[in-house]
Amino acid sequence: MIRILLFPLFLAGMAWADTGNDILDTHVLPGFDRLEARTQTLSAMADADCSMASAPLRGAFTDAVKAWTAVSHMRFGPTEAENRDFALAFWPDTRGMTPKALTGLIVTEDQAVSDSAAFAEVSVAARGLYALEYLLFDERITTTGTAEYRCSLIRAIAADGARLARDMAADWHDRYAALMRSPAPGGTYQSEAEVLQEFFKALGTGLQMTAELRLGRPLGTYDKPRSTRAEMWRSGLSLDLVRTALTSQRELALLLAQGDEQLQTELAAKFDLALEAASRIDDPTLAGVTSPSRRIRIEALQQRVNEIREAVAKDLGPKLGVSAGFNSLDGD
Amino acid sequence: MRNRRGFLAGLLAASLTPRLSWADAGAPALLSAGRAPDGAYFLYGVSHQGAPTFRIPIPDRGHAAAAHPDRPVAVAFARRPGRFAVVLNCVTGAEIARLSAPEGRHFYGHGMFSPDGATLFTTENDFEAGEGRIGLWDATAGYRRMGEVSSAGVGPHEMRLMPDDRTLVVANGGVETHPDSGRAKLNLPVMQPNLAYLSLDGAVLEVVQMPPEHRQNSIRHLDVSGDGLVAFAMQWQGEETELRPVLGLHKRGAAPRAVPGSEIEMRAMNGYGGSVAFFDGGAQVAVSSPRGGRVQLSNVTTGRIAQSVEIEDVCGLGLLGGRLLTSSGTGQLQWIDGASLSRARIAWDNHLIPINAG
Repeated sequence: MIRILLFPLFLAGMAWADTGNDILDTHVLPGFDRLEARTQTLSAMADADCSMASAPLRGAFTDAVKAWTAVSHMRFGPTEAENRDFALAFWPDTRGMTPKALTGLIVTEDQAVSDSAAFAEVSVAARGLYALEYLLFDERITTTGTAEYRCSLIRAIAADGARLARDMAADWHDRYAALMRSPAPGGTYQSEAEVLQEFFKALGTGLQMTAELRLGRPLGTYDKPRSTRAEMWRSGLSLDLVRTALTSQRELALLLAQGDEQLQTELAAKFDLALEAASRIDDPTLAGVTSPSRRIRIEALQQRVNEIREAVAKDLGPKLGVSAGFNSLDGD
Repeated sequence: MRNRRGFLAGLLAASLTPRLSWADAGAPALLSAGRAPDGAYFLYGVSHQGAPTFRIPIPDRGHAAAAHPDRPVAVAFARRPGRFAVVLNCVTGAEIARLSAPEGRHFYGHGMFSPDGATLFTTENDFEAGEGRIGLWDATAGYRRMGEVSSAGVGPHEMRLMPDDRTLVVANGGVETHPDSGRAKLNLPVMQPNLAYLSLDGAVLEVVQMPPEHRQNSIRHLDVSGDGLVAFAMQWQGEETELRPVLGLHKRGAAPRAVPGSEIEMRAMNGYGGSVAFFDGGAQVAVSSPRGGRVQLSNVTTGRIAQSVEIEDVCGLGLLGGRLLTSSGTGQLQWIDGASLSRARIAWDNHLIPINAG
């Protein structure tokens, strides 16, 4: 009798463990491997030709930014250890620190660019992919100082980014994946449920970033839209990154809903609606937030993303045993 | 026009209420925001027996409240990034005034009255500058905005009066947010929380920071003991695997110190301190963690965690008749020793506010 009672529980435990492993093996680890590969290519391209107009360099930049965006919701553990996430992706930059920090390096011709250890100590605002975007696309930064110094800086940032991505990937493979595969009392994760809840939280964070930052920042208010607060508008990637994030988070959501086909179908449909709403926007920089007729489509997209968030909180959360606590989920 | 009407209503209410006391409001011992079973939000008065003495509807989810020192007047604050605070007559339920955050500001959900009840202080965000402000409102003149002072930090949350009745202590959480970006945290790589002491007219008297390893430990909530010891609850914004205490203590003129415990005890709080309260005559301090579903009690002298009490979705802490009471989202009001005071179908919101009526 006891055996019969325990059996389903045991099965449920196994299924949860499978989900955690599947997320690591098909979503997290390949995502960080891809980020490592794309940032290595970017660094190689910068070494080969560091001129801002170089098409291969710009192409490699786009690929690296997309690879980061696809894992940017996995912002815990190795991703944030040693502030790697901020060093690779300092955004949003609400106080305009990136152009200030870059200008500081350029006008003083700071020699940290010639020493990778010294460059790793430079302000995170002047490092990573978002700083690189300024050096490749910003009107003012691309004309500040000498071309020669800017070239060294581009190479230093690209090499530093590749190192950060390599460290993230290695740390995920060598340390954190094992920690998440074997939760134990007293550990960082005390149970399989906590592992899944961590991934659930990552999904929620990613969707929040898309709704409130990637779309919310440029939308601002109707009276005060803020087109230059869009993510990567200088390189024209703003809308593309919304799509990249949604596509990656769709994958994670369906993995988390594994074993519940109805829920998978529901979530897939919600993500597809959002992706469809994105495809109806012909506005790579989201500059249309200032035009009433174009703005409405961007708002519609934000609404679709918020609908995904609701479905995730209401339907996926309970399945994963995330308590719907009045205070525990509030946070303040 | 609306301002003028609010001003007149305030004058009228003020002229009608001076004779009323908290006893006329059913002598509540505590205030708490909460959600009724039908999903509507109210500010509740809670009696010594744990029963609601009144409830007054508020426009949206509340957070904390401020109780006037002698008149039965309470201010209910919206959850951040809130644009409203409602001043309520707790006898009639009438809205005395509605405070709107000035252009470019929002409330953080906390506030308090000056000892004489003449001034209301509110923690606010100047979100374009990304700087904290303390708003000053004239409680004797319809809650007119009198001005504002710097909070000496970013993201001011809870503030308290020091025992000298002349000094404010403010928890500057350090996290920058902007209403256009919802509740997203915008400055984690450079955040720097602090504890700031201000005179009632806004002069910065002392600002203290925790050591560098706590730079991402956001200081949000406070309590002050009778001898001026400040206890602060923190929320860890850094890496999950890193262990940081959720409680700290500070005495002016000395360095702030964290209150640690064993690794298991510290992990159990999930890096999230919700409310904090001294009890046992100031000899002990309690900190709640809704995310960890527990309250931890520490001895002020040893400065270490002494005991843990598990309570689902707990957050509010407050003294009632000298004993420590907890409130939770499940509707439970429970003494810290485990005995239940009352249970209602009300989801009690983050904080319990004692009424110190004379």
